[in-house]
Amino acid sequence: MILALSLGRPIVLGLVQGAAFGLVAIGLVLIYKSSRVFNFAAGEFATLGAFGYYLANDHVPLWAAAVVGTLVGVGAGLVTERLVVRPLANRPKVTVLVATAATAITIIALQFLLGATGKTFSVKPLIAGTLPFRVFGVFVSWQQLLIVVVLVLAGGALALFFAFTDLGLATLAASQEPTASRLMGIRINRVAMLTWAVAGGLGGLAGVLLSPTLGNFTPAYGTTDLLTQSFTAAVLGGMTSMPGAFLGGIVLGLVQNMAQFNISPDKVPGAQFAAVLVVLVAVLAIRPTGILGKEA
Amino acid sequence: MTATLERPDTDEPAEAARHDGGGRFRPTAAGWGGRAAVGVGVLLVALWYCLHFSQGRSDILASGLVIAVGALSLNVLVGYVGQIARGHQAFIGIGAFTAAYVIGQSGQSFYVGLLAGAAVGAVQAIVLGLIALRVRGLYFALVTLSWGVVAENCFFRLKGFTGGGAGATAPRPGGFTTDRAFFVMCAIVLSVVLLVDWRLMSTKAGRAFQAIRESPAVAANYGVNVQLYTLYAFAVAGTYAGVAGALYAARRVTIQSADFSFASIALTYLIVTVVGGLRRRGGIVLFAVLYVLGGQYLPGWVRSMPIGDTLKANAGYLVQALSGLLAILTLIFQPEGLGTFTAPLGRWLKGGRFHLGHGGGGAEGINVRP
Repeated sequence: MILALSLGRPIVLGLVQGAAFGLVAIGLVLIYKSSRVFNFAAGEFATLGAFGYYLANDHVPLWAAAVVGTLVGVGAGLVTERLVVRPLANRPKVTVLVATAATAITIIALQFLLGATGKTFSVKPLIAGTLPFRVFGVFVSWQQLLIVVVLVLAGGALALFFAFTDLGLATLAASQEPTASRLMGIRINRVAMLTWAVAGGLGGLAGVLLSPTLGNFTPAYGTTDLLTQSFTAAVLGGMTSMPGAFLGGIVLGLVQNMAQFNISPDKVPGAQFAAVLVVLVAVLAIRPTGILGKEA
Repeated sequence: MTATLERPDTDEPAEAARHDGGGRFRPTAAGWGGRAAVGVGVLLVALWYCLHFSQGRSDILASGLVIAVGALSLNVLVGYVGQIARGHQAFIGIGAFTAAYVIGQSGQSFYVGLLAGAAVGAVQAIVLGLIALRVRGLYFALVTLSWGVVAENCFFRLKGFTGGGAGATAPRPGGFTTDRAFFVMCAIVLSVVLLVDWRLMSTKAGRAFQAIRESPAVAANYGVNVQLYTLYAFAVAGTYAGVAGALYAARRVTIQSADFSFASIALTYLIVTVVGGLRRRGGIVLFAVLYVLGGQYLPGWVRSMPIGDTLKANAGYLVQALSGLLAILTLIFQPEGLGTFTAPLGRWLKGGRFHLGHGGGGAEGINVRP
């Protein structure tokens, strides 16, 4: 009965946010596949992308600003790989996890240092306006449609890349057998740089595309609004499966918005976050390999 | 990194024993006097710092001691049993709001609140520990991350429990209402926690923690009840965190859900633990104090330099940014943290020979099985 009251908005918003989770989650899976590292700085890649888009918003055409935002994400990924992850290559993976968390807090503190505290940053959508018809009784903006389309395109492109190109196969090989791959002439460091660049770019893109649908964003919003959800999406998908991360993102977006719109915040505040935890624990307890998980 | 169930020679590394011809080194009377003098000297400096300056200085030091207790709690999980925990805002916050509820709303004394915070902190930690029994390593880090987010956004916003946005109040105990006196309270509590932690690690449980960290399978083969001792460690960590939370609440008097954010508690405490040094109590306490002193003095110092107005206005965040960088540098270059530098002094104070070198105690940095 309560569910019937609010079904359209959670579905639409769930798909849109789920697409952003999916983009970040694909980046997390990429990094996990190639180097077995959990990247806790992923949320901040998205924030930095959104900031790049915001700062370029007034100076260049919007599509160029989106490119700038994505490139900021790529840069953040590359810098993190080179300065934080590579020096720790032979350490326990949890050390790297803590180091990426330290990277996240450094990036967050830098945003505060540069005066972002307590402000909200409003950004223009890449495509203004809404679709001429309703979906599930809800108006959908072009920007919201765009983010879902981009997720599908990015997921498809990456799947093709890993299945059919030499570089993609090299990346997969390097993740499974680093030593043998090196002996076969694959440059492990290049592969790592590539995966971090792509993951950073996906994060940046998620930040660029999601922030206009929210209307505005706050500093560190990638960590508060994307990180936990994207990780849960990746785990739900099996942590090693890119289509899984894609699906996981969408499922999690839907679950989160169903909880948010149908559970009164007066009774249970923050139900959307509780829903994420429930999904995470349930997946780990019942099916740790996720929906589509298999090794490599 | 071999698993061992023998008593680790933390206090007497092998080289010291060799110099003594096998006998245990004992300082002379003058040696003990020197050690006592150094201890008293440190106390005097702290006393001078608190009494000579305004009350606010004591309050800053007190906040450092609260962070130290919280970081020691994290040290039990990450350092002793090797479970990476990313949601300490839940641990600290649950202790803080429980204490505030017991003290402020139920009108009990501070000490009852402290005990209640510790007890509830332990219970929630055991619940998380039950999950840790099934899910280890990186995946457990995710569960704790999510747990922290849920605590932050759900539990701490329940009006009946935390007062919603207005916050909850936890008055300080009689005799400790001033900042100076409350600093003494924090120092006493920290001393008790340090003492308990030190003795705990010398018990069977302490050695079991170490064995579980090295390898749960090997530990089980040696007859260590892995499940029981993992839960034990979580209970200990939760107790420390609850105590830290109660102190946090009483120091601030009024607490709000926004105080217990992921960045301000979970990340900060993790960084203090890592930079201070895992399994290095002295290093952790030292860096906790340095962290708050840095927060106090760095901004003023930076503001006197020719930099942009934005930077000057936000210089308060400098210590957070620097500590993040410091944590990365620590992990890369000095995985044992600041504790490496304080360990020789600590050994000497406890009555050992003074020699450089980090000694035993498992110095391999973070060591968690994925």
